[in-house]
Amino acid sequence: MKTHKVEQLVIATTGFFWCFLMWFATAAFSPSIAANYHLSIKAMGLLASSAIWMAPVGRVAAGWASDRFGAPRTFAFVLGTCGLVSIASAYTVDYRLLFIERVIVAAAGVSFVIGIQHVAQWFKTNEIGTAEGLYAGTGNVGAGAGALLLPRIFGTDYRSAFLWLGVVALGIAVWYLVRGKAAHTAEQRDLVRARSDLRGTLFVWTRYIALALMLAYAMSFGLEIALNAWLPGYFTRGFHGAIVALGFTGVAGIQIAAGTFAAVESFTASLFRPFSGYMSDLFQRKGWTPLPFMARTLPYAPRLHWLGIAVILITMGMTGLTIAGVMGSLHLSVMVLVVLGVFISCGTGGTFALVPLLFPDRPGTASGFIGGVSTAAGIVYPLIFASGADIHMGYLAVALSMFLPFVLFYFWAARYERHPEEHGLLTQVLVIEDAA
Amino acid sequence: MMKTMEASAAPAAHDPWYKYGVAVLILEMAIAVAVSAWSLYMTFHGLGGLSGKH
Repeated sequence: MKTHKVEQLVIATTGFFWCFLMWFATAAFSPSIAANYHLSIKAMGLLASSAIWMAPVGRVAAGWASDRFGAPRTFAFVLGTCGLVSIASAYTVDYRLLFIERVIVAAAGVSFVIGIQHVAQWFKTNEIGTAEGLYAGTGNVGAGAGALLLPRIFGTDYRSAFLWLGVVALGIAVWYLVRGKAAHTAEQRDLVRARSDLRGTLFVWTRYIALALMLAYAMSFGLEIALNAWLPGYFTRGFHGAIVALGFTGVAGIQIAAGTFAAVESFTASLFRPFSGYMSDLFQRKGWTPLPFMARTLPYAPRLHWLGIAVILITMGMTGLTIAGVMGSLHLSVMVLVVLGVFISCGTGGTFALVPLLFPDRPGTASGFIGGVSTAAGIVYPLIFASGADIHMGYLAVALSMFLPFVLFYFWAARYERHPEEHGLLTQVLVIEDAA
Repeated sequence: MMKTMEASAAPAAHDPWYKYGVAVLILEMAIAVAVSAWSLYMTFHGLGGLSGKH
């Protein structure tokens, strides 16, 4: 079969976009579902949180499967399964069954790491940042697009939405199977498949640099999904008076204003992500290595430095958010949030411009670990944000207690001038002769 | 800024697709800035706004 890497990028991006559309479709129709089944606030919260349940473990499994069976088969399986269950959920009348079906459909979110692996198998090292950025950034928009468009297209008829989302998912699954190709060469595909054993998985999980990248992704994407859940409530409580002064009254009005301020962060974080991948490519091309302590002679050292800058900026952005909040300035808080969204995109794009280069023989396993485990941070941060006496201080608390140690660990793990992936726990047991 | 030996020695040769990829990412950034600006303008003037994913 004759194909081109851009075709593979388009297939992966389309599949990922649609998976994200399905992932957040439940949330988009939660008011309609709640009204239909007379759900309590508690039950609505459970339904909303269920979207993320499958991500940590599911992404780890999906990453391994994409190495083992190839991205096209794995992606088609995810699309096909989620599509069929989505169609089934359109005809379900029992709420408990609907809840279970929507949790299964939300597993579509694991597709992120499959596409990362797929793109990594096709693009050259000097363009990997832009390619992965375009894939992830454009695909991520599916979440926002779903929330914006689905209720406008289908109104309160969530059953029709679930039906059509599933039908199109099946079509994309067939397209992926027919036109998708696992790797640029058969040798590369076979090498990755051979390395997808348990020892190879443990090898990746115990590398210091893999742990550092996982924490960097927890600081960026983990923070992004945490803020998605936290910010509407934060603005409602922290800036109630200022929002009322803008002319928004009543619960619905304040929710619109608070939701808008919050959405700006996620929108910016998604759509600036390709830019971050491009910046990683630019750092690499120019050979910029401005940070102290970190490796300078590694072939991909400039990309490590770009990510180092990103995690510092995210920590500073979180501090700025607390300062703006303590000052009581709604305008300044929103401006800092927009900038923080850009900084977060620098972290997300910068991380996955590095992963395929650090673990070229195990891109799926590494992507699954880094992109999966880090999502658990999205559950932890809101708990810290909400734990303090002052609602504005939570960002500084996270920055000092978590992000600062993460940044120091990143600098420490990225200091090796030769083969950083050889340094980790249990190296003597897990080392594979031809890993390097 | 310091340079790595490997990186500075490597020629920057991109395939033809790359310039179109960069054009797409610039377009996506422009959309992000435009939607954010419009949305914030609407909200700060009490006119509602783009509710995004919430």
